[in-house]
Amino acid sequence: MRGRGQYVADVRLPGMQDVAFVRSPLAHARIRGISVPPELRDRVFIASDLDGVKPIRAVSGLAGFKPSEQPPLARDKVRQVGELVAMCVAPTRAEAEDIAALVELDLEELPAVYDMRRARDEKASLVHEEWGDNVFLETLVDVDIASAFDAPIKVSRTISTARQCMAPIEGRGVVVHLDRRLDQLTVTTSCQMPHIVRSGLSECLGIAEERIRVVSPDVGGGFGYKGILLAEEVCLGWLALRCGHPVRWIEDRREHLTANADCREHHYEITVYAERDGTIRGVDCEAIVDSGAYSAYPFSACLEAAQVASILPGPYDFPAYRCRTWSVATNKPPILPYRGVARTGVCFAMELALDAVAAEAGVTPEQVRLKNLVRPDQMPFDNITNKHFDSGDYPEALTRALRMIDVDGVRARQAAGEPDGRRIGFGLSIYCEQSAHGTSVYSGWGIPMVPGHEQAGARLTPDGGLELRIGAHSHGQSLETTLPQVANEILGIPTDRIRLVHGDTAMTPYSTGAWGSRMMVMTGGAVATACEELVERAMAIGAHLLQADVSDVRFEMGRVVGPNGDVALSEIARVWYRRPQDLPLGAHGGGLEVTAGYKPKRDSGTFSYAAHAVVVAVDSEIGSIEILDYVIVEDGGVLVNPMVVDGQILGGLAQGIGTALLEEMPYDQAGQPLASTLGDYLLPGAAEVPAPRIGHMETPSPYTRFGVKGIGEGGAIAPPAALANAVNDALRPLGVEMLVSPVTPDRIVAAVLAARSSTLQRRDAA
Amino acid sequence: MKAARFDLVRPRDLAEALDLLAAPAGVVKVMAGGQSLGPMLNLRLVEPDLIVDISAVPDLRRFEREGGTIVIGAGCTHADLEDGRAPDVGRDMLARVASGIAYRAVRNRGTVGGSLAHADPAADWPTALLALGAEIELASKVGRRRLPLGEFLTGALSTALAPGELIVAVRVAAASASAGFGYVKHARKVGEFAHALGAAVIDPEAGAGHAVVGALDRAPIVFEDAGVLFGGRVGPDARSFDRTVADAALKAAGVENEASRHVHVEILRRALVQAFERAPAPARAAA
Amino acid sequence: MNAPVRTPSGAALDLTVNGRAVSRAVEPRTHLADFLREELNLTGTHLGCEHGVCGACTVLVDGEPARSCLTFAAVCSGASVTTIEGLDDDQLTSELRAAFTREHALQCGFCTPGMLVAARDLVLRLPEPDERRIRVGLAGNLCRCTGYLGIVRAIQSVIEERRARGVAPLLVERSLGPVGAHVASAPAAAPTLRDAAPAERTSAAVGVSEFVPAHTFEQRFTVAFPPEQVFGLFGDVRAVADCLPGAFIEATPSPERVEGGIRVKLGPITAAFRGAASVSRDEAERAGRILGAGADGRSGAQGEIRYRVAEGATPDASEVILTVGYTLKGPLAQFGRPGLVRDVAGRLTAAFVRNLEDRLAGRALPQDRGAPSAGLNPIRLVTGLLLGRISSWFKRIRPGGASR
Repeated sequence: MRGRGQYVADVRLPGMQDVAFVRSPLAHARIRGISVPPELRDRVFIASDLDGVKPIRAVSGLAGFKPSEQPPLARDKVRQVGELVAMCVAPTRAEAEDIAALVELDLEELPAVYDMRRARDEKASLVHEEWGDNVFLETLVDVDIASAFDAPIKVSRTISTARQCMAPIEGRGVVVHLDRRLDQLTVTTSCQMPHIVRSGLSECLGIAEERIRVVSPDVGGGFGYKGILLAEEVCLGWLALRCGHPVRWIEDRREHLTANADCREHHYEITVYAERDGTIRGVDCEAIVDSGAYSAYPFSACLEAAQVASILPGPYDFPAYRCRTWSVATNKPPILPYRGVARTGVCFAMELALDAVAAEAGVTPEQVRLKNLVRPDQMPFDNITNKHFDSGDYPEALTRALRMIDVDGVRARQAAGEPDGRRIGFGLSIYCEQSAHGTSVYSGWGIPMVPGHEQAGARLTPDGGLELRIGAHSHGQSLETTLPQVANEILGIPTDRIRLVHGDTAMTPYSTGAWGSRMMVMTGGAVATACEELVERAMAIGAHLLQADVSDVRFEMGRVVGPNGDVALSEIARVWYRRPQDLPLGAHGGGLEVTAGYKPKRDSGTFSYAAHAVVVAVDSEIGSIEILDYVIVEDGGVLVNPMVVDGQILGGLAQGIGTALLEEMPYDQAGQPLASTLGDYLLPGAAEVPAPRIGHMETPSPYTRFGVKGIGEGGAIAPPAALANAVNDALRPLGVEMLVSPVTPDRIVAAVLAARSSTLQRRDAA
Repeated sequence: MKAARFDLVRPRDLAEALDLLAAPAGVVKVMAGGQSLGPMLNLRLVEPDLIVDISAVPDLRRFEREGGTIVIGAGCTHADLEDGRAPDVGRDMLARVASGIAYRAVRNRGTVGGSLAHADPAADWPTALLALGAEIELASKVGRRRLPLGEFLTGALSTALAPGELIVAVRVAAASASAGFGYVKHARKVGEFAHALGAAVIDPEAGAGHAVVGALDRAPIVFEDAGVLFGGRVGPDARSFDRTVADAALKAAGVENEASRHVHVEILRRALVQAFERAPAPARAAA
Repeated sequence: MNAPVRTPSGAALDLTVNGRAVSRAVEPRTHLADFLREELNLTGTHLGCEHGVCGACTVLVDGEPARSCLTFAAVCSGASVTTIEGLDDDQLTSELRAAFTREHALQCGFCTPGMLVAARDLVLRLPEPDERRIRVGLAGNLCRCTGYLGIVRAIQSVIEERRARGVAPLLVERSLGPVGAHVASAPAAAPTLRDAAPAERTSAAVGVSEFVPAHTFEQRFTVAFPPEQVFGLFGDVRAVADCLPGAFIEATPSPERVEGGIRVKLGPITAAFRGAASVSRDEAERAGRILGAGADGRSGAQGEIRYRVAEGATPDASEVILTVGYTLKGPLAQFGRPGLVRDVAGRLTAAFVRNLEDRLAGRALPQDRGAPSAGLNPIRLVTGLLLGRISSWFKRIRPGGASR
């Protein structure tokens, strides 16, 4: 708040030069030539210069997966607008861009695959010729779907979600220099997963991991985007070795929007079979995910689609299910995991389909949900796709949300009508968020990264302070607050004497990083474990100092307490470091420094969840939507710091509102992205985001330290479905149903007019 | 992205500015607050050889009253009108428009003249000032001329500015005491460029008024006599608004999409309703 | 060719930053944010978009919030600039900082410096802690982390406290015009045009058989000339080019091939698409097609004119059915305002039709009809070419192949 943060663009190194990239203007083309003015040859680098650099390969172990090879600089073909073709170096970014403008590309344009629904057509152009088709991966789950076919209610819907950009306010950026003293390539990069980036860089650059140090400084928002190894990082790694001076690339907004940070584009054909009372008999779905041109490291191109199949049932219990998914390659940027990952799309599809079932069955949306939600007495519960729900009371969350928003009052207001002619709509959505899922879940995926034990280091300083080291990175999740709280709970050291060291591979234990809402569960558990080991070490020393037996002392409020007195942790630290002569013989050589690992008792993940309820007023003539009230009842297990949790929910909600109402990265038929500024790609501002009312439930997870659950993504999952359902509730009397996100004024007006004209036609016909 | 290289001159007065524009060396762009040109420069969509920065020219940063006409210097900012540092033509007519333009930090530098010269159809001033019957005063080394705003705006991002010419002032006649000004902007979020704009000045007492539809892909559509929108004459209120007239005008102007015509017509209707409502009460009572 | 990397030269700039006089040479194209960050190492001012939308770069210029990404440093001569670093001891900002901490109004912190500057302005100006006005007032400062609730509450609380203490809202007196713009002391010197030397232009065959334009216009008109004569005119590519505003022809190596380009002006944007076109004619149908592709370095365009000359109502008259289509690629396509391009293309088409009629009637074409001449200087066009900024990616649209 005083401008003293240090983000990657703030790093200053002597002799540093800036990089600008020449990027492909076309979505799909063969490279016939790249011409660089001869006098600039030492400032411009192209694929053939990058000796020994390997393409980025993010494989998946799932059967049938076709890996893609993403060359850091395009070699023979470009497969998306914005793909890197040449790298230009100059003292300033502006001058580097001047050089980039002088590089000429000779491209032979190929038809672009721009629509995922047509990517599997026989005549479709091939993004990767060697595949023979455009499918990264196809999956099929079928659990007795045929048994549902005779259900009296069958509701089918085509539902889709737009391609989006994560758009943290700070983009990516990387500064690389060769530390000659340590013979180490030091990569300062705005990322969530420094250790994973190091592994990826090592693979691509062919340099041993110990010769690479990845530092993640202050990070201006990530939301998944900063978990990905970027081709730019590989390029700059190579360049720093080649040039010998520090080099820097800072992503600008245009690069971010048009070339790099895409996510979320899903398409569903979903059919729900139900009894007349709304009880679900089965769900049958075909889903396509537009995975873009390349498989992104480390999560791979199939993360979303394959997850769709396993998580579509959400918190609902029903007996028959079929889901077929395709991850298809298109000439667009790779799809990356954005807060909520596949859950936002899945929740949108399922919750909209449920409202359609309610309408068909003539019951309320809440009745359909209460009929089908998993019940608390079923916990722990293995659902139809074998997801293991650890704990929770879903119907209670819904009931509380209905109470908080006063559903009866809302219905009365809706029936009365508004004086200004707008239509009131009420919408619900419920989701579950599997988070902090570990080895057992990820080993099956076979992607480059499988989380195991999460480790944390804890070191008492000679003056009684504490240093905590974690391999993940905190960038707004407030781990700097919550992890010291955990340590304080165990060690009794005041939080202002606890420092969190994070975001540096040289100073922290290995970690897969900050993703999957796992931070509090995993790093929290690791910190707790490390602190407990410290307590044991301290007790051994303390007992000796108190001249008592270890079995006779206990640890309380930062002191080792014995039968005849007590000794503070700070004194124990002083003795260990400064007066080793006072230590017992045979004292543990590890002293007051511990690195410990943690894994939950069961690592299939925690299931946090929430019910969202919203009231909107829709102006059907111009398509505008006002959010009148928004209620969230969430259960994130035991909350370490409710203010931080609320902050995550509020931030997620704002992003969810963006997904629901504003954000869309359109592409034309040539595969050209059509939004290149934040004037075209609309992010929610303060005026578009409501002040929600949040209710907390705390059902502990039986498997984690303190019973905590991961909650980082949940806020962004439910809002699109809740808002679309509310709009549909408002417009249902007009015969309008919105099944595409974002629900924009243009789409609403077009649908209202179409419904009107079809009503007129029906009247004419009659 | 960073702007491509350009040269910059900062004339101290109007004469210097016009001299510079009279003898252009390469592509010359005039910049005032730079709030429209800036993004295009930063995207390298515009790469001028020379920018003539007129933000400090005192002759443009002033206003005058000439009888019933208010002459607003082209260099006055949106914030100047929002805050009332420059006079309004009626009760908060200009201030209302100004306060809805982009964001305060943009309004502190963005100018009225710059916005008109840029002639973005989605911007506020072209539509609002057309409804208020503004005239544009232009100057070049060879002299001055005035154009009705409607003649000045020739299309999307296109004006009648001749080489060597710049806007020195906007002239707006003070609204009649019995007139009401309606201005409605339709956008998906606050501060965004408009998707539909309706502006209208209605004097129910005189049974007269005009109306403008903006935020099209072309110059705004002006209904010089708003009466055509009400079956022939401006009545006491907006109830007799005839959608089909406005819709036909939009169709003729090439707006093919039915839904967008619908929204434009509706926004125009709301602007008209607002204009009637804001006309001083005695006038309405008398009508 | 000139090497593009030159020592940044620029006029000396004198201004006050955070209360201290600063004097530096600065390139005209350097915006204030880069000047503060790269020259003065005041990295508290962040860049989130450089298009004036996100607000992360908001600083105080002459005490008022302004976008430092849309304000070039060189126009701030004599201005007083205050960044977040300069608000360390500012009483109001200190109150806001405390409120931001209390209300959990920041997570990643990247938007915070700009947010505090905007918040400070709102606290000064707003009479009451009205939630809606605060939210609207914050529209120009995007935060992706917090959902804004904490920020809004923090601002509300500070306004409330201050009004309770009797601190009234304040509108600082200032002169008209853009903040930070002060009259330069030296007379403006006319700059010298940069050197430019001619360069070779290369261009290759274009044959686009399957081109499907993204946008098309159809126009029908009748002319008082017999069809043969009208069809004959369409066979004269130079005559057609004369009628199409901005089009120019440089060579006609064969009857089927034309080299040249078209200059198009889209407001301040000037694009000069240069390339080649193929010409085909069907005598029997009295129809034909001119299909071209060109690039201006970063953006590319493909366009076609299809025409058919039919019998008119009388033997001496013809009906011309004209279809103009185009597709844009690159930054211009990505600019997000396709409607504006449509308007320009529509006006071009209309001017083309009028010019054709005039030409058939033997009337001289008006010089400026629909031409994009205003603002488009031929020298600039040449300079653009000279710098070699024509990419040749349009060259290889496969002849007769399966591409569009």
